[in-house]
Amino acid sequence: MNKILLVEDDEVMPKIVERILHREEYRIDHVTNGKEAFQKLDDTGYDYDLIITDILMPYASGFEIISKVKNRKEGKPIPVIIVSNAGNEDMVLEGFKLGADDFLKKPVMPGELLIRVKRLLMQYK
Amino acid sequence: MEFIKNFYEGFVFVYGCTMLFWYALLAMLSLRGIIRYQRKNSYVDHNIMVQSPLAPGISVIAPAYNEGVTIISNVRSLLTLNYPVFEVIIVNDGSTDDTLEKLINEFQLTEVVFAYNERIQSQPVKRVFKSVNTAYDKLVVIDKVNGKSKADASNAGINAAAYAYFLCTDVDSIIEKDTLLRMIKPFMDEENKKIREVGEPCPECGYVHVVEDSIRVIATGATLRLANSCEVDEGVITRVRPPRHWLPRFQEMEYIRAYVLGKMGWSLINCVPNVSGGLGLFDKEIAIKAGGYDSKSFAEDMDIVTRMCTYMIDNKLKYAVRYIPTSQCWTEGPPNLKVFSRQRTRWGRGLAEIMTIHRKVIFNPRYKRLGMVVLPYNLFFEFLAPIIEFTGILYYIYLIITNHINWPFATILLLFVYLYSVMITTLAIWWDQMTYRYYKTWKEVMGLALMAFLEPFVYHPLIVFFALRGYYFFIVGKKHTWGNMQRQGFGQKKTTAA
Amino acid sequence: MNVLPVFFTSVLYNLRYAPLIIQIACVFIFIAVTCTITAYLSILIGRYKGHRHEKKLAKLHPLIDQLLLDNVLMNEALIHEDAEEIPVAADAFHQPVFRKRWARQALIDRLIHYRNNVSGIMGEQLRNLYIQLELDKESLKKMKSRKWDKKVQAMAELTSMNMSIADVTILPLTNSRNRELRAAARHAYIKLSKNEPFKFFDLATEPLLLWDQVELFRIISTTEKIAIPNFAQWITYSSNKSIISFCLKLVVHYNQISAVPAVEKLLDTRDHYLRADAINCLGKMQIAEVEDKLIRMYNSQPLNCQIEILKLMGRVSSGKHVDFLRQEFLHSTDFDLRKNAAKSLIKNQWAAKNLITELVDTATAENKRILKHCMNPLIKF
Repeated sequence: MNKILLVEDDEVMPKIVERILHREEYRIDHVTNGKEAFQKLDDTGYDYDLIITDILMPYASGFEIISKVKNRKEGKPIPVIIVSNAGNEDMVLEGFKLGADDFLKKPVMPGELLIRVKRLLMQYK
Repeated sequence: MEFIKNFYEGFVFVYGCTMLFWYALLAMLSLRGIIRYQRKNSYVDHNIMVQSPLAPGISVIAPAYNEGVTIISNVRSLLTLNYPVFEVIIVNDGSTDDTLEKLINEFQLTEVVFAYNERIQSQPVKRVFKSVNTAYDKLVVIDKVNGKSKADASNAGINAAAYAYFLCTDVDSIIEKDTLLRMIKPFMDEENKKIREVGEPCPECGYVHVVEDSIRVIATGATLRLANSCEVDEGVITRVRPPRHWLPRFQEMEYIRAYVLGKMGWSLINCVPNVSGGLGLFDKEIAIKAGGYDSKSFAEDMDIVTRMCTYMIDNKLKYAVRYIPTSQCWTEGPPNLKVFSRQRTRWGRGLAEIMTIHRKVIFNPRYKRLGMVVLPYNLFFEFLAPIIEFTGILYYIYLIITNHINWPFATILLLFVYLYSVMITTLAIWWDQMTYRYYKTWKEVMGLALMAFLEPFVYHPLIVFFALRGYYFFIVGKKHTWGNMQRQGFGQKKTTAA
Repeated sequence: MNVLPVFFTSVLYNLRYAPLIIQIACVFIFIAVTCTITAYLSILIGRYKGHRHEKKLAKLHPLIDQLLLDNVLMNEALIHEDAEEIPVAADAFHQPVFRKRWARQALIDRLIHYRNNVSGIMGEQLRNLYIQLELDKESLKKMKSRKWDKKVQAMAELTSMNMSIADVTILPLTNSRNRELRAAARHAYIKLSKNEPFKFFDLATEPLLLWDQVELFRIISTTEKIAIPNFAQWITYSSNKSIISFCLKLVVHYNQISAVPAVEKLLDTRDHYLRADAINCLGKMQIAEVEDKLIRMYNSQPLNCQIEILKLMGRVSSGKHVDFLRQEFLHSTDFDLRKNAAKSLIKNQWAAKNLITELVDTATAENKRILKHCMNPLIKF
């Protein structure tokens, strides 16, 4: 069972993601902003196999989340996928510079998301 | 004596009628503006901008002076604004507390060599900081020598700004998430973009020179409200509530009237007199060419807008200053009479100053709307209003003493003025509720609207008194000593005072 | 009990002989009171209505979401990648509540919301549902409304559902006097027209506003099956400058090398705003061949073009013109020119290593600051 943290302030997206990533295979925790994400990560001791995050969110941006997750010295590395509607090239590059593993633009293709999630989970096994 | 009396009575009558007429007109105009804005924006998806690579960049400039307590959460809230291309420039205006240290620690700042171009003069900039963490690469922190005014700090921020537009705000104001998206829009959908060729081909290069002959939006503003009783969580408003204390509550009512009814109405006929210092988006090029903020001014926000407009007219360029009716910024208003009196006295003084500095523009037909409508209106109905009101009261007292008063008629007239002012305020709150259903319960709205009935007895006399005090200080040239609290509710300006 | 009528008659009697001002004042008192009361009532009614609508929506949205999840967004479909024509179980939506107009509108909005987040097969499923529930009729009905904002709303709905609209209905609207309507109609036309989506580029005489460009850009870049034309035709022949400058942005976006010659011709245009745009476009496409020509032009250009030329040298990073950049950096009087020259020099670093160290050692204090600024990776601009 893979544990995924989904950080997303849109109300519809989590439902779609849950649909795409089957409940039997993935357990998805959903938080709606940067502050909650940090809280969740601290509470669980970063016990996630994958993080899917948006960029523009209240309290803390997706970039901050990536930076914090990727700069963590201890523990196992966690892959991060950005799912955002940002079309600005700079923003995408910035995400990758910070260590994001993948970038998906909204609207996402269900199959694509599924495959990329699977691939990343395999890589980080 | 009789002649003076008649003249005075006649003048006040005409004056009063014109003023009431203007308010009615403004109410009508702003209603039109709001309905138009609502229809236009009900289906517009502002998020398109977030996705677009064509979004123009914006520099958010927020001066900070001894804000150690709240600085971190406020900067965080600025950094998470919903916009694709922007930077946040915090100008530490020589704080004596730990504002700068906190910023350095929280955002992992390091001093950088910065090619600072001093296009507008300000107190010297000591150091510039950037974060080593790319997650905060939108943040620039400038440490400068205290210039004793927000204007001076803002100027330093403008000099360091990288983008073509800058948003001027206070670090202690809370800005709504979509502010940049909404406020940049008027810059982008002003009609009539044209290019005009000027003169013969240039002998040197063989090109015909061209100038932009379109209406250029040089500034936009939005409604401000008071944050005094709102619930705030780490720099984000979680619950909007009208202030509980009577004084800020009157101010909230006044703000709604000034912005939603006043400036929105002016915006429709392109006669906006002022973009408040609490929140305004400006065209950087024009702001710099107009000389930036005047650090000695007591009303630097109105001053810069007036100068930007004069610059445009002097250079035969078409311009517009626009307002949007939605509330985008919540600011802490003076919570008690002491601070309030200081603020309003300052505004009064600032207004007097503007009228003297720009006296050459007033009634100068060369300056079109600015010279014939905007400034004359402010001269008569903003600047002179407290004076005329005050003399009016004296006159009334004189009439009463000499027993020349026709009581029934006087009562009817007073009742008329009273009810009219209540109506204007109530309409403003109605218009405001049209843009968005602010506040959670209807009781809160009523609690605010009913203040209109008390205003003429409680709040209005205070404003008149403080304004007169400001004028007096202006005349005698009293040195204004700034307390620390002057930053509270710094720089917003009223437009209407019924 | 007849105190009141007596009072009023006496007031009226007195008023008739009162001065005009007093009479007017009385009229206005009446108006003011009416307006105030109306305002209060409207606020209350408006809030009540809004509140009720919100409550209804709050109840309806979970229902819609559940129905969608249970019946439409089928996960199994993902496994069969060929499942384009999966029938949608629209029956579940035949509930009494969806016969109401507001609920149908809420459903449309929700479907669009979903489609903004998901495409591919699920996106198709949502579209199928929209058609099967005949929600498109709802949108088309709005198309016929007399109110322009309704029309705009309808077009937005139809375009995001990728429905076709007949050219006859949409073409007249592309020339509407109402700007919003005109813009929306054009966007819809580009998105939905099968023949020549870019036709109005030929016809538009009035400028494309920046906001329109943002919307157009989004539509063009997100429509999947659109045939991207060679933008050179408008860059060369259009007399509408805003269309040319918009085409330049599209050329960059699609990296349309075939349009480069047309863009190069623009370097001779009289309009220096447009010229700057053209240089910017060439720079972003990294066209090294124009560098020589630009250097020859450089001295006769206004500031905005000069800055663009310097930027181009940084973007192209051919390493051929470091001397020119050095010259500009050392001798230009304008701060922005020096800064941009320095930035481009740094971008040509691979060809100018020694030069840069030499400059850092010998430059004036200010120039040194500029160089250090540009060399610092933490500073973007």
